[in-house]
Amino acid sequence: MCGIAGAFAYGGGAPPVDRAELQAMNDRMRPRGPDAGGIWVDGDARVGLAARRLAIIDLSPEGTQPMTDVDGELRIVFNGEIYNHRELRARLERFGARFHSSSDTEVLLQLYRHDGEAMVDLLSGMYAFAIWDPRAGRLFIARDAYGIKPLYIADDGATLRFASTVKALLAGGRVSAAHDPAGVAGFWLLGSVPEPYTIHRSIRAVEAGTCFSVDERRGRAAARPYYSIAKTFAHARGQESIAELVEPATLLREFVTESLRYHLVSDVPVGAFLSAGIDSTTLAALAAAAGQPPRCVTVTFDELRGGADDEAPLAERFARERGLPHTTRVVTRAEFRAELPKIFDAMDQPTIDGVNTWFVSKAASEAGLKVAISGLGGDELFGSYPAFRALPRLTRLARLPLASLLARAARNPKAKYVRRYAQTYAGAYVVKRGLFMPDDLPMLMGRDAAAEALERFDVLAHAAHAIEPDPETTFGRVATLEASLYMRNQLLRDTDWASMAHSLEVRTPLVTAALLRQIAPLLLARGARCKQYFAASPEPPLPEWLRKRKKTGFSVPLKEWMELAPDGTSTRMRSWARVVAEAFALS
Amino acid sequence: MRFLLLCTDAYGGHGGIALFNRQLVGALAAHPACEQVVVVPRLIVTRENDSLSPIVAFDAGAARGKLAWVNAVRRRAREHFDIVFCGHINLLPATRLFDQPPVLITHGIEAWKPVRRPFIAGTRAAISVSELTRDRFLSWSHFAGPTYVLPNAVRLEQYGVRPKRADLLARWGLAGKRVLLTFGRIVAAERYKGFDDVLEIMPELDRDIVYVIAGKGDDTDRLRRKARDLGVADRVVFTGFVAEEEKADLYALADVYVMPSRGEGFGFVLLEAMACGVPVIGSKHDGGREALRNGALGTLVDPANPAEIRTAINDLLRDGKRGVPAGMEYFAYERFVERVHAIVEDLSGGNRRYEPGKVLESFHRQ
Repeated sequence: MCGIAGAFAYGGGAPPVDRAELQAMNDRMRPRGPDAGGIWVDGDARVGLAARRLAIIDLSPEGTQPMTDVDGELRIVFNGEIYNHRELRARLERFGARFHSSSDTEVLLQLYRHDGEAMVDLLSGMYAFAIWDPRAGRLFIARDAYGIKPLYIADDGATLRFASTVKALLAGGRVSAAHDPAGVAGFWLLGSVPEPYTIHRSIRAVEAGTCFSVDERRGRAAARPYYSIAKTFAHARGQESIAELVEPATLLREFVTESLRYHLVSDVPVGAFLSAGIDSTTLAALAAAAGQPPRCVTVTFDELRGGADDEAPLAERFARERGLPHTTRVVTRAEFRAELPKIFDAMDQPTIDGVNTWFVSKAASEAGLKVAISGLGGDELFGSYPAFRALPRLTRLARLPLASLLARAARNPKAKYVRRYAQTYAGAYVVKRGLFMPDDLPMLMGRDAAAEALERFDVLAHAAHAIEPDPETTFGRVATLEASLYMRNQLLRDTDWASMAHSLEVRTPLVTAALLRQIAPLLLARGARCKQYFAASPEPPLPEWLRKRKKTGFSVPLKEWMELAPDGTSTRMRSWARVVAEAFALS
Repeated sequence: MRFLLLCTDAYGGHGGIALFNRQLVGALAAHPACEQVVVVPRLIVTRENDSLSPIVAFDAGAARGKLAWVNAVRRRAREHFDIVFCGHINLLPATRLFDQPPVLITHGIEAWKPVRRPFIAGTRAAISVSELTRDRFLSWSHFAGPTYVLPNAVRLEQYGVRPKRADLLARWGLAGKRVLLTFGRIVAAERYKGFDDVLEIMPELDRDIVYVIAGKGDDTDRLRRKARDLGVADRVVFTGFVAEEEKADLYALADVYVMPSRGEGFGFVLLEAMACGVPVIGSKHDGGREALRNGALGTLVDPANPAEIRTAINDLLRDGKRGVPAGMEYFAYERFVERVHAIVEDLSGGNRRYEPGKVLESFHRQ
C-alpha cells in the first residue's frame, strides 16, 4: 500500500520544511494511495512526513499515516507490507511494548524503539519507510531486501527529501530535473535505469537491502547494506547435503507454502495473476491448497488470439480444472494506443518493460481486486532464464582466440563485445542482457553526454559489483546477476508503478530473502531442474500439458501496436526504447 | 495380547530412536490386555539394561549380527502376535516373513525420502513421531492406510530445575559465563543439527557467552577448526561423550538450549532441556516445531536466518526465565501411554475410536 514522502532540514542553514511542497509530492502519488492522505510537520518545521494510503491491513482510521507510537514520540511513514508483523508484535509484547492499532506500521515503530537500526535484520516483507526519532534528532530510512518497494532521495547537503517515486520528488518543485548522463546511459545499456542512478542528477535511489540515517549533528551517514543475494548463495555452498534430506518437490511445497501464507494475509480478498507458465499456476494451486483459492486474472492480446502464444485458453483450462474463479481480459491495439499517455505518465523512470503488468493490473483492478499475488521472480529463483545456460557458454567462447569472428559469423550485433567483455560472468551478462552497447551511446545521447556517462557509469563494474562476494557457483552467479540487475531494476520497479497506478498491490511470494535462504542449498544441488520440482509440488501436481509446455515470455505485441522497426534494421526492443526515451525527453 | 517390536535398538541403545522404543515397549507392557512384548533389536551399544518388566522378552541374542537378527526374526515369525511393530523403515523387508502386515514406525530423515515402495504397500498402519515426518513420509509413499502421530515423551520426574553443578562449571571453565548448549551426535554425514549455524553467530554475541557442544562424533575436529577460524575457539567447549547420569546436570548448566536444526524428526533433546527448566530455541523447519508445540513452549527460529537465531538467543539471555514451561504435561509419559493404548485399541478394532493423525490436532504448521 501507499506512497510516502518527506523532507528533513538537517543542515544548519536549511530553510524550514514547506508543507505545500509535501502536499504537492503527496498529490502526485494519489493513485498509489486513494483511500486517505496525511501530512505531518513538526513544530519548528525541521521535518515533515507525508503519505497516501491504500488500506489493506487494519482498515480502521488507527492505521492511517503518518503514524505515531503510543507515546506520541516516534513518527513513521511506511509503504509496503511487513509479512511477519504478528510474530514481531508477539515478541515485542513480551518485552512490554504497547500498541494502539493492529497495523504492521506500528510494529515498525516499536521494533525501532526496541532494536534500533538492527530492526531491518528481523523484517520480512516489502517495504520502504522513514522513522523520525525526535529525541535523537534523527531520520532513519530503510528499503526492503530485494527492492520491491521503491524509495528515492534528493539531498542538497542541507535538506534531505525522499519519496516513493522520482516524479513525486520533482512535483514538490524544489528538486532539479536536470538529466544525469550516467542514469540515462544506464537505461540505454540495460533497458532500465540501474540503482542507485536515476535519470536526474539530483535524485538517487535508496538501494535495495540498505538503510541509513540522517541527523542534525552528523548529516547523512553512508548506507548500510544488510542483505546480499550473493552472500546467501556463497553461504549455501556445502549445505547441499541438508537439502537432500527431503524430496525436492516436498521441500519446495513446504517453503513456498510458508511464504504464500504470509503473502495471503490481508483484510481484503487476494487475487492472482495467472499465465500458462509454471510459476503463476503453481502458486495459484498452492494457495488453493492452503485454503485461499485466489480469483485469477489473465491478460491476452487481440493479436495473439487463437495462436500458439495465446496463454488464455490454457490458463482458463487450468483455472477450470482447479475450480478457481477466473477472468480473461483481452487488450486491443486501440486500447493500448489510448492508454499510452497514461502509461508514460505513470512510468516513473524510463524502462522497456511494464506494459504487460500495466494491463494485467488494470484487469485485476476491474475485477475488484486490491491485492494480487504474482509469480514474478520464479525464473530468477529456479534458473529458467536462457542466461543460466548462455553465460557459462559465453565466458568459454570469449576465451577462444577467434571469439569475435565466431560471434560475427553468427550475425550477432553484439559480436565484437564477446571477446572484450564476456570473459567474466558480469561481462557476459552485459553482452547477453544488454540492450545497446557502450559504443552506441554517442549516437543515442550525443558525444559529450556519452563521454561523461562512460566516465561515471562503468556497466561492467556495475554488474561485477552485484556478484561480490563471489557466489562461487555458476548457478549462484547467474541467479544473483539476474535478481540484482534485471529483476530489481526492471521487473520489480515496473511492477510497482504499473500496479500502483491502478491502486493494486502486487505481492511476490517467490521474491523473499527467507525463501532464498531456505532453498539456496537445494538450488545449488539441483540447479534448473528445480522448476520441474516446483511444478510437481502441489497436490495434485501441475498437469503434463502445462509442465511440458515450451516456455514463452509474457510479452506485449509492441511491434504490431507501435509499427516498430518496419525496415528490420533494429530490434523491437531497441525501437521501443527510443519511443520511451522520447516520452522522457531523453533524445 | 502379544506384541512384537522389530527395531534397530532399544535397551542399551543411545539416542532418540532407542529411547522411543523403550518408551513404546513400556507403554505396550502396561496395556491391561498385554501378555507379552517381544523385542528383537539389531544393536546393543552398552550392556547396562534398564530393569525390564517380566512380560517383556528382550531378545539380546538377536543383536549379535545380521544373521543372528534374521534368524531371531524367522523364529518369531512362527509365533502368534496380535500386532507386529516395525521400528525402522529399513527393517521392513524382514516383516515379509510374517503372515500379517506390520505397523511401521517412522522417526525422521529415514522416512523423508523414498525407499522401495513394495514394502510400504504391505504395511497395515504407520506411526510417526511428528506430523512433519508423517506428511513427508506420505508425500512420497502415498501410503493410504491409517496413520498415527505419537510424539516422544519425557519423564518429567527424572529432570526438574536444578542448580548448576560447581564441578561441571569448573571442568569446562564455565563459571561466571552465560552458556548456550546444543546436545547431539556430531556426525559429518548429518550436518543438520545447527552446530554450524550457532558457531557462525558467536562472533556477534557478547564475549561472556560460551557455546557448549555436547556429544561425540567424527565431525568434532571440523567444528573445532571452524571455531578457531571464526576466532571464537576460547568461547566454544566440546564436552565429548556425556554419560546418561550426567545429562540432566549438563542441561542445567545451560542458560539457553539452542538447536536451529533442519533434520530432526522430533527433537527429543528439546523436551529434556525444557524438563530441566532451560529456555529453548528450536527450529521452525523440522520436528522441533512440534516439540515446542508451535512456539508455545519455546522460541522457534528459521535455521537459515542468522539474525533470527542471534535475536532469539539475546532475547532469552535477557529475559528468559528458568522453569518447566506450562504445557509440558502434553509430553508427559502418562499421556504417551494413553496414546499408545488408544492406537492399540484402534488397531485391534476396540470400541474406543482413535482418530488417525488427530493426536496433535492443536498443531497448525504455518
